[in-house]
Amino acid sequence: MKILSVFGRLYRGETTFDFIGRRIIGFGVSLTIVIAGAGSLLIQGLDLGIDFRGGVAWEVPAGTLTDVDAREVLEANNIESLNAKIQFLTGTELQVMRVQVGDQTEPVRLAVQKSFADLAKVSVEEVSVASVSSSWGRSITEKSIRALIVFFVIVSLYISWRLEWKMAITAIVAMAHDILVSVGVYSLFGFEVTPATVVAFLTILGYSLYDTVVVFDRVQENATKFASSRQSFANIANVSTNEVLARSLNTTLSSALPVISLLVVGSFILGAKSLEEFAVALLVGMLAGTYSSIFVAVPLLDLLKRNELKYKPFRGQIATGAAMSELMGHGASERIVVNNASKSQTSVFTNEEISAQATQRATNALNHPPRPRKKRR
Amino acid sequence: MNKRRQIISLVLLIVIVMGAFSANLIAGNRPALGLDLQGGASVTLQPEGDYDATGLDVAVEIIRSRVDSIGVAEPEIILQGDTVIVNLPGVKDQQQALDIIGRTGELLLRPVLQTGMLNQDPSTTIAGSTPPDSTTDTVPVAGGPGSSRRATATTTTTTTATNTATTIAPVDAAPKVELGDDPNDPTQTVLLLDKNQIAYVVGPAGATGNVFKNDARADVQTGEWTVVVSLQSGPDGDVLWNKLAAACFNRTEVCPTGQLAMVLDGTVISAPSVNEPEFTGGSVQISGSFTPEEARDLAKILEFGAVPVRFAVSQAQTVSATLGSDSLRAAIISGLVGILLVVALLLAYYRLMAVFVLAGMTISIAFLWTLISLLSRTNGLALSLSGVAGIIVSIGIAVDSYIVFFERIKDEIRFGKTLKNSAIRSFESAWRTIVAADTVSFIAAIVLWYLTVGSVRGFAFFLGISALTDILVTYFFTRNAVLLFARSKRVQGRMVLGIQTVKPEVL
Repeated sequence: MKILSVFGRLYRGETTFDFIGRRIIGFGVSLTIVIAGAGSLLIQGLDLGIDFRGGVAWEVPAGTLTDVDAREVLEANNIESLNAKIQFLTGTELQVMRVQVGDQTEPVRLAVQKSFADLAKVSVEEVSVASVSSSWGRSITEKSIRALIVFFVIVSLYISWRLEWKMAITAIVAMAHDILVSVGVYSLFGFEVTPATVVAFLTILGYSLYDTVVVFDRVQENATKFASSRQSFANIANVSTNEVLARSLNTTLSSALPVISLLVVGSFILGAKSLEEFAVALLVGMLAGTYSSIFVAVPLLDLLKRNELKYKPFRGQIATGAAMSELMGHGASERIVVNNASKSQTSVFTNEEISAQATQRATNALNHPPRPRKKRR
Repeated sequence: MNKRRQIISLVLLIVIVMGAFSANLIAGNRPALGLDLQGGASVTLQPEGDYDATGLDVAVEIIRSRVDSIGVAEPEIILQGDTVIVNLPGVKDQQQALDIIGRTGELLLRPVLQTGMLNQDPSTTIAGSTPPDSTTDTVPVAGGPGSSRRATATTTTTTTATNTATTIAPVDAAPKVELGDDPNDPTQTVLLLDKNQIAYVVGPAGATGNVFKNDARADVQTGEWTVVVSLQSGPDGDVLWNKLAAACFNRTEVCPTGQLAMVLDGTVISAPSVNEPEFTGGSVQISGSFTPEEARDLAKILEFGAVPVRFAVSQAQTVSATLGSDSLRAAIISGLVGILLVVALLLAYYRLMAVFVLAGMTISIAFLWTLISLLSRTNGLALSLSGVAGIIVSIGIAVDSYIVFFERIKDEIRFGKTLKNSAIRSFESAWRTIVAADTVSFIAAIVLWYLTVGSVRGFAFFLGISALTDILVTYFFTRNAVLLFARSKRVQGRMVLGIQTVKPEVL
């Protein structure tokens, strides 16, 4: 019942969670995951696929061979066949099967060469074996990193211009957090990194920034709205976060549903295993992206902003419960006296009074019909 | 009135998008698929002559940049043993693949012995060894290379404008030359053509593209398209170049025409006259009657320098997909299931208004499909599995625009506004948010597109067009449709988005 009522309030936009006051929880969870991920990255690193590290390739006169046969040969020689690249080459001459896997020792190479020769019923010399280089060259990595740095600079400038520089910094930090979390998960579970994974990480990067910008846009709007009403930044941040909460959850759900479907339907039911790790990377990154906008970016922004001249006098005042709902309902219409523990003497109302007042005002707002429009001529 | 404009804009968008979509379907344009999903062509390059491991690595990097600059989507270039394998997605025709890879040889700088027009028998003689000036007279080809190109030295900014008139001296009766039979052999004297079928007899290569740095660029200087490139310093750079330049400038025996041909894969790319005996400024400037494309092409060829290894194309083959059709089918089916789930969620949450999301998504998808299949055809774009998955992800992100908008409307309605006023006000603020967020995506797309290669570039492309589509559809479709809906008389005071709206007293 309690969960239902939370959803009901969410649906009606009436949630009053105190995100800023409980920032320690969000920071704690994030730090734990990031440290675990970073530790795993340092200790076991990432499992880079053939595209990054190269490996070995056999070329077999194919005849009637299929990729299933090739995978069996690999498995028989204790080579993981899931990420093997198997291609069929058709030229003017006969068909050739090219099988690529990560690097193998010389005896294994020869053993597999022999198995392939037996399978294709040709002599061992007709099966070629050679080392292959990575297809993802060093220059691609270098160019991508340079591009990312340029991107961070431009995006920081854009956010600084559109919103403000403190938001730019926090948005970039939140994004770094998301990337670390998803790369960390990859390292922890030992998933193989392919070019598709890199694309997934880039998608996460874009998604994370996008999501943070949407939340910050509301914070900015509310900061203007509350400018005259002398509020602590924590209150503005809390109000904004609660206001965008329904949107954040809906967006996460509607972005995550196709990815979950990719994972469950595509990978588990239809058996397209190549989709699995890609989908996992995306899912983790998306969840992290939404989470970090609310639990990392906004509280971090509060840390940066709460000592600004405009907010400093009210630092530490956090309106909770009914007081927050009053803030949300009435915007900047009047000054709210906050029931602050440290300054309880200054409080005029008790909790019950405030909540009663808030309810009454809310009812008034709903019952009171809007002022009739002037008739058009 | 405003309402009429909204209806017109709405109808116009639907007609344009659906028209383009059906035109594409009728024309049979379909998105091309990448190497992993559909395969393509595979070209094997066998190195010839002397080479070492570092040379091969450099060669692979240069070939990669060249193939990328041609615009084929996500090629795969690997070194297998000593052979270089180039896999091109979406290329069905093996000959086409060879043509693309064929352009990846070595850039040679060869002194021009004679120029002229080719007669019927191209293998042995040159009809009337005429100076380049009269060549352009007889052949009315606009901007015939060699006619007015000149290479001048530049010292930082100033251009040494030397007199063009005297640089082209008529050549006396053609001396007999022994012609080699392999046009790619840098040690023989051979007959080569340029793309306008002007023939050049060129001597043994004096240098390779290695004398240049990788900084060639095309530029407009004093009203002409000009290519500027810096020289490497040292015995393999400016020293070698100056030796060659001096030989040509002084019309010595090795270079009687004073022209230096830049040859790539047996084709003369440009054959400028040398106007300076010594290039002290550290850079070479090639100017003449270039078209912008010619100048850019030349700059690109000079920039990528020479492949340090010579390759023989040993074979071109068709290559099968690595993932196969079941992966694509799985991706598409799960994508569709995903969309259905999203629609169900939105219907449950936003009730009737979810219809707008559905219609908007249909328009977005039709638009994306049109764009992708058009670009597959014209620019060799190819969708890989990560591209397909990227599109599936972008569906979720596109839905966000609607969610931002609808949540705003709900907020406004809750404060007692009528549906019409809520919708108008909400769009203004939601639009700000959507533009800001999409701009970030778009910046990412542009930067990644310009600065990277390979699959990252493919990703950037899809990111960019989905951000753009989102902006377009939000402004021209969602805004108009929702505002029209919100002002219609029938919905006033009804439940919308799952909330009771206030019925305005006067409409």
